[in-house]
Amino acid sequence: MGEDALRLEEVAPAAFAARVAAAVEAGGRFGGLDARPDGAGGHRVRALVIAGAAPLLVATAARQGSVPGLRAMLGAADWDQREAHDRCGVRFAGDEPHRPLVAHPADPVAWTTPVSGEDVHQVAVGPIHAGVIESGHFRFHVVGERILHVDVRLFYKHRGLERAAVGCRPDEGLALVRRACAACAVANQVAYAQACEAALGLTPEPALRRQRTLMLELERLYNHLNDIGQACAGIGLAAGAMEFADLKDRMQRVNRAVGGHRFLFGTVAVGAGVAPADRAARAAARAEVLAVRDQALRAWREILFNPGARQRMRGTGRLGADAVARMGLVGPAARASGPAHDARTVSPRLWYPGFSPALAPEATGDVAARIEMRAAEIPPATEIVADLLADDAAPAPARAATAPGGVGVGWVESPRGETTCVVDLRSGRIAGLRLRTGSFANWPGVAAAAVGEILPDFPLINKSFELCYACVDR
Amino acid sequence: MLIKDLAAARRRAGLPRPGRRGSLALRHVDAGSCNGCEHELQSAAGPAYDLSRFGLHIVASPRHADILLVTGSVTRRMLEPLRAAHAAMPEPRLVAALGDCALGCGLLGHADELVGPLEQVLPVSIRIPGCPPSPEEIAAALRGVIASGRPGPTGG
Ligand code: SF4
Repeated sequence: MGEDALRLEEVAPAAFAARVAAAVEAGGRFGGLDARPDGAGGHRVRALVIAGAAPLLVATAARQGSVPGLRAMLGAADWDQREAHDRCGVRFAGDEPHRPLVAHPADPVAWTTPVSGEDVHQVAVGPIHAGVIESGHFRFHVVGERILHVDVRLFYKHRGLERAAVGCRPDEGLALVRRACAACAVANQVAYAQACEAALGLTPEPALRRQRTLMLELERLYNHLNDIGQACAGIGLAAGAMEFADLKDRMQRVNRAVGGHRFLFGTVAVGAGVAPADRAARAAARAEVLAVRDQALRAWREILFNPGARQRMRGTGRLGADAVARMGLVGPAARASGPAHDARTVSPRLWYPGFSPALAPEATGDVAARIEMRAAEIPPATEIVADLLADDAAPAPARAATAPGGVGVGWVESPRGETTCVVDLRSGRIAGLRLRTGSFANWPGVAAAAVGEILPDFPLINKSFELCYACVDR
Repeated sequence: MLIKDLAAARRRAGLPRPGRRGSLALRHVDAGSCNGCEHELQSAAGPAYDLSRFGLHIVASPRHADILLVTGSVTRRMLEPLRAAHAAMPEPRLVAALGDCALGCGLLGHADELVGPLEQVLPVSIRIPGCPPSPEEIAAALRGVIASGRPGPTGG
């Protein structure tokens, strides 16, 4: 049994919420909750908590379609509960009524938060936006320009990818997971591959772990460069937006040279690696990655010294460490408010020897700190990439290590934070799949950060998180 | 961004010089993409490829657009917004399917959630294959529309 052996616990419905909350209280990270038909007319509800590198699945039966809700103890479960309710009607007692999340009732009263008072009105934006942006809808409750509350309505792009995976072989499921999101393609697929391998009792060898880590950090680099550029666009700083758009493109060219694709599609397989790029290509990529880092840090310093940029970013969209913890936010957005978890410190199926997360120079929890976190994470990611590009070994397939258990859990620090995946296999076919991405965890944070700010700052606050719609909608 | 960086970026992109005449306004709609096509369309409009050099501008409203660039496999939930965006465009108007999903190649997802290829919803006359098409390919395909001298069908 490895350090990441999965524990399964079946508890009585009345004990469910307390058990999950206690596991989180004891230092575990909440990794999602879902509900599935139990095949006998009822439903089973299951929550994931990961303590260090040890995953725990707590399951219970929903009696008369209801289990006690977790929200009071565990704010991070709110969207999971609403999704579970929309998908199969399970109710979470104490947290009702459940505002629809995945479901899209036509009547706004059914899905918006009631906000009333003198001069309160609503501003509806989307699903189609003015720029080249993914589809999603925001309903702002405002007085004048001041935002009182935002209802985020996503799932316009819901493609039913998880449901489509049921009955597929693990390799067919991988193609569906890749389609979830281009910008997180590696993270999502590695989390999924890890979950399948864990369910099959397979363990990746060091060369495979290194190859996946290389792809994950390449993905982080182009995403972080993109995010800084997007934030510049959000404040109308064209010079920064253009500079970082170009740096991102340079990294995507590196992706193509190293992984054969600008978004690294095709670089992850279940139970195996892919053929590495040849030595000359890797040497050239290494030099380019180092050059991109140097240019990125120079350009970032210029932005920091731009008074207009500073003024727009500082103090805008502030979230305190307590709010971050309450909502269970993850990734650079969480680390911008204070020390917060980075899944790379507990990834035995990857290759992060001696890793410790970059710290925010000033953990002010505002737009400035969130963008600064991206800049702070570029040098360590570059170092990992440069190291791993020097590696020659072609990965061997994952080896059988334990008896197949039928259910497996995977987790990965994506560019947006920890992404988890739970896969159930039956006779070699997928019986259940749940992918909970860093973006899914963080959308409630976008809405919270906007409260009290003015409407024109919302695009900037939104871009300081730069979350995906696609890998939430699935 | 310094002018010399810009020049270097454009050399890397390796695009031809702009042609002489014509312009088209583009409006993008994400009908259910994985966001890959959006990233590449943004890059095509970015510093290296700079679509605007070729007279191709991304505009904020369908009211100002000649071409509707659609990405993604059309989801049930995006069907109405997509139709509304198309209906809001002035005539003559063209629809471009950007990427393999919009072209209906290897659609992935649950049948309950997908409408089907874009072609079943709107009249597609420009086809830009790829998953996603690279910024060069996007730029080349759209330049082709201008070069053809008339807003007519291109591609296969
Ligand atoms: S064509 Fe490829 S990149 Fe474009 S939306 Fe579809 S899956 Fe994503």
